[in-house]
Amino acid sequence: MAVIGAVSNAALASIVPIFIGRAFNEIILPEPSLPIIGRYALIIGFSQIVRGMLQFARNFGFEIIAQNIEKFVRQELYINLLGKSMTFHNLQSVGDLMARSTNDVREVNYMFSPGVNLVFGSLNFLFIPLIVGPTYHIALIATPAAFIILYIFALWHYLKILNPITSQVRQTFGNLNSRLVEAIDGVEIVKASAQENGEIARFEKNAIDYRDASTKQGYIESRFLPLLLLGIAMATGLAHALFLFQEGQILMGDIIAYFGTLSLLGFPTFISLFAYSQISLGFAGARRIIELLKTENKLDQNKEGYDHTIAGNIEFNHVSFGYTDDEPILKDVNLTIKPGQTVAIVGQTGSGKTSLVKLINRTFDVHSGEIFVDHVNVRDWYLEALRNQISIIEQDVFLFSRSIAENIAFGKPNSTREEIIQAAKEAQAHDFIMSFEKGYETVIGERGTTLSGGQRQRLALARAFLTSPKILILDDSTSAIDSKTEDRIQQAIFRAAEGRTTLIITHRLSQIRWADLIVVMRQGEIMSIGKHEDLMRNSKSYQRIFSE
Amino acid sequence: MGFFSGLSAEKYDRQYSDQKLFSRIFDYFKLQIRYLIIIASTIVIRSIIEAFSPVIVAKGLDMVTQESITIDFILTISGIIFGLGILSWISNLLRRRYSVKTIAELTQQLATDAFKASMHQDLSFHDNFSSGKIVSRITSDTREFSQLITLSTDVIMQLISSIILAVILIQTEWRLAIAVFLLIPLLFYLVKRYRHIARKVTREGMRAMANVNSTIKETVSGIAIAKNFRQEKTIFEEFEEANQTSFEVNIKRGFILSIVFPVLRTIGGIATALMVYFGAVTVTEGLVSAGAWYLFLSTLDRFLYPVMSLSSFWTQVQTGLSAAERIFALIDAKHSVKQSGSIKPDELDGRIDMRQVNFSYTQNEPVLRDFSLLITPGETLALVGHTGAGKTSIGRLITRFYEFQEGEILIDGIDIRKFDLVALHRKMGIVSQVPFLFSGTIEENIRYGRPDCYLQEIINIGKKIGEGEWLNTLPNGLKTQVGERGSQLSMGQRQLVALMRVLIQKPSIFILDEATASIDPFTEKQIQAALDLILSETTSILIAHRLSTVRSADRILVMQEGDIIEEGNHTELLKQGQYYAELYNTYFRHQSLAYVDETKKYQNNRGTAG
Repeated sequence: MAVIGAVSNAALASIVPIFIGRAFNEIILPEPSLPIIGRYALIIGFSQIVRGMLQFARNFGFEIIAQNIEKFVRQELYINLLGKSMTFHNLQSVGDLMARSTNDVREVNYMFSPGVNLVFGSLNFLFIPLIVGPTYHIALIATPAAFIILYIFALWHYLKILNPITSQVRQTFGNLNSRLVEAIDGVEIVKASAQENGEIARFEKNAIDYRDASTKQGYIESRFLPLLLLGIAMATGLAHALFLFQEGQILMGDIIAYFGTLSLLGFPTFISLFAYSQISLGFAGARRIIELLKTENKLDQNKEGYDHTIAGNIEFNHVSFGYTDDEPILKDVNLTIKPGQTVAIVGQTGSGKTSLVKLINRTFDVHSGEIFVDHVNVRDWYLEALRNQISIIEQDVFLFSRSIAENIAFGKPNSTREEIIQAAKEAQAHDFIMSFEKGYETVIGERGTTLSGGQRQRLALARAFLTSPKILILDDSTSAIDSKTEDRIQQAIFRAAEGRTTLIITHRLSQIRWADLIVVMRQGEIMSIGKHEDLMRNSKSYQRIFSE
Repeated sequence: MGFFSGLSAEKYDRQYSDQKLFSRIFDYFKLQIRYLIIIASTIVIRSIIEAFSPVIVAKGLDMVTQESITIDFILTISGIIFGLGILSWISNLLRRRYSVKTIAELTQQLATDAFKASMHQDLSFHDNFSSGKIVSRITSDTREFSQLITLSTDVIMQLISSIILAVILIQTEWRLAIAVFLLIPLLFYLVKRYRHIARKVTREGMRAMANVNSTIKETVSGIAIAKNFRQEKTIFEEFEEANQTSFEVNIKRGFILSIVFPVLRTIGGIATALMVYFGAVTVTEGLVSAGAWYLFLSTLDRFLYPVMSLSSFWTQVQTGLSAAERIFALIDAKHSVKQSGSIKPDELDGRIDMRQVNFSYTQNEPVLRDFSLLITPGETLALVGHTGAGKTSIGRLITRFYEFQEGEILIDGIDIRKFDLVALHRKMGIVSQVPFLFSGTIEENIRYGRPDCYLQEIINIGKKIGEGEWLNTLPNGLKTQVGERGSQLSMGQRQLVALMRVLIQKPSIFILDEATASIDPFTEKQIQAALDLILSETTSILIAHRLSTVRSADRILVMQEGDIIEEGNHTELLKQGQYYAELYNTYFRHQSLAYVDETKKYQNNRGTAG
């Protein structure tokens, strides 16, 4: 439908100048026949109605194609994202994924409509004078043919010099904008450091860079050569036709028709000013999407793997790991945890605590060494069986914008209300949930903004109570502002640690103090390991944190 | 008004009178006057060319017959068309070039002025108005306003050439001309109706799109949870629904948007057909020449598109003007902090004297009433109390980030209103609750307040904190990139950098609004070490959340509803067993080692929880 619309649009457009030409030939006859002119008028009118309908078909057709592509690409991308490993998701920022699945997908849509639609539609117009011209006189092919060749060269040249400038414009604007956002957000520190004038100077410099880049782009756009070519083509075409007329080879009306069809060249000329950049934007978007789709998913499901109830023994044997090959996060880690033990992992940010625990459920895979759960290498476990029995509560607890009850029951959607309430009570969350007007039906704002860190953590604990994992991993870096909340969190965590192997990444001295095993990490290595009493004896930095 | 006008209104927005607004706009345009004149003349030239080329062709047609045509005539007429083509290209080049230049300069000037104004605004202003909206005024509104130039030149050009053509057409044959003009109101009406519908579907489309975006955002952020609990299917269904809805809405939108040009086309085609016939009738009756008939035919289209742009012109002008109004409102917004002098202190002893200060953020809600406080040079003062007790406000008044209503604040015996604020801030070290870092390296952030500071000095001070271990744990030491707002660093590391920034500054007065986020115990010890370095050398005001900070103060003020209700050091106050003791039990007890021992009971009480 779209293709028919595009080709016929140009053909029908040419009917207007052709029949105006014929009408003109008729009217300059000594005895012009009005009925014949009337017939020409009817043909023109009718052809334009048909053209309008077909043009609509073309536009709407392309629109449907574009929307379908957008929907399909986004869906593919989304499915692909869901299938990606956590290594991937950890490395990729949410903002970047968002940009690709929204803006880039949209650019691909625009590439088809209006991009390809207009280019395709307007290109047909290039050929009309090429076809119509020779019907009056074979020599009249010269001007349109020359125009097309020069047009293609001029356009190619134009796009070649324009591209680097447009990316420069984008980049300078990016610089301007990101520093602006920072300066406004950090205005307090700007003032506190007496740097107002420094920031203004920096902004002005960025603004001038952006100004210069966009002026440069404008200059290139203003020198758009095809426009000049069009003017020249019109003039030479007219001269050519007039000479042929003088020699009696064509009629006056033919000049008019020819001149009229030449002016159809204006359409592709103007369109190319923006349609091509739309298409190149679309290509760039498509490239970024494909890049994302191609990134591999390293973990496999291992469906035939080991599938048993976990007792809770964990063993690290010479484990090394890094997100990228050249930056090791963990170096030769050895560690044995017995079933039911509570292990506190302490260390500064970047010391590898989080990576260490995420290797256990194969969120990530080790680079070298082995990890055993119940003396079976985690790679030999059936992934789903392994993950179902290990629960990880992240530092930044993510809650979906659904009701609290649904959030608690996320891992076990068919649980009864009694089970949910029981879990919430064990997690010390029941009281604060009931303090909300709608209790368990309270819908959580995006990213749980209406809840404090401690509250979110307790909801996550409730989630864990419901699924009752054999191994619980808790990234507990939340702070309690007041002692009462602290009491609650302590109770909930102690309760959660009961009867299962528990690993806690923690800042709380109380958890460190009472853990069965304390692992002190530094720069990817285990610095010291043992019970509180051992470490107080052996480790200087450990002593320091327990001194007042 | 624009598509979403009203949504972006802010309290400081004001209604400028037309006269005032235009004179403000004129001030900016004045600087560009040379370019504007060039633009204006190219517009006129170009519109004349646009109007005259069909006239010339039509006249030429009337003048010749096959017998009478001469080479001279051919060369002349195509020479004219050729010349007009080149002239048109050149004038277009000049117009574009200068309007791009004018737009770019205007945008840059407006944006710089707006940015300057927002940098000099008080903090109360920034507290009240979202940074996102201020940013959008500085970037998008300035651009939108400047676009008025392109918009106006396009419309003016089309208008001038249409008017010239109209005059020529009327002179040629007034009856046919009137028939042509009758088309205009019809088109105007159609376009207006259409715009109304198009606006509606566009808005729906945007809404559906926003919905898809937020669904994707939520599920992508929650992907770890979904994977842990094997719930990929649920979130996929949620996404699928939003995606399908967006698809349907956009197809509808596409339908509406696809319709406009074909309809205009068809109307133009029918008009041409009518003109072919009725024009021919007038020709046969001898009313007009064949050339004139051709002129009418070839100019019909030129009335079609100006109608399109004209009908949207006014709305766009309004949008541009309200953008201008928003920018000027930002530039003109009143400051509440006013200085009456510009003393630039070389050194400060750090004696702070607050005398019967009254302060409120909004009227009728006093935060401080007749508040008096004397801080002696070198003293370390901790402020404690529940949220809303007025602790932070004291810090904000001493930094002069906010204006107080009554009383006096003296620094080294000089009225705080008499200082040059930038110079005063150089002598103050301020660390806010959320330590803010700029993207760049740690070193750049540390030297932010003193760009000329030697690297060695930074290293020396850095080594004094916990034997410099914090530097060793950073992947690239001082050259480590901190990421946007310091996101690559932990909260504790950000605080250390913020403290380093102040240490380098060597302030006389130090004000700390302590962060409440928890920090790993190793970093916490290092922060304490950095604090000790500062506290020993400056007059310090600490809004304390950590037990160790409170303990290190010479004097603790317990605040309640803007009043000091207790005063003393940690041991004395605890012994008194009153307000401070209560606060201690609420906020600080769980930070003590005694509490750590106590928590053992939760482990022993297993099973009774709930």
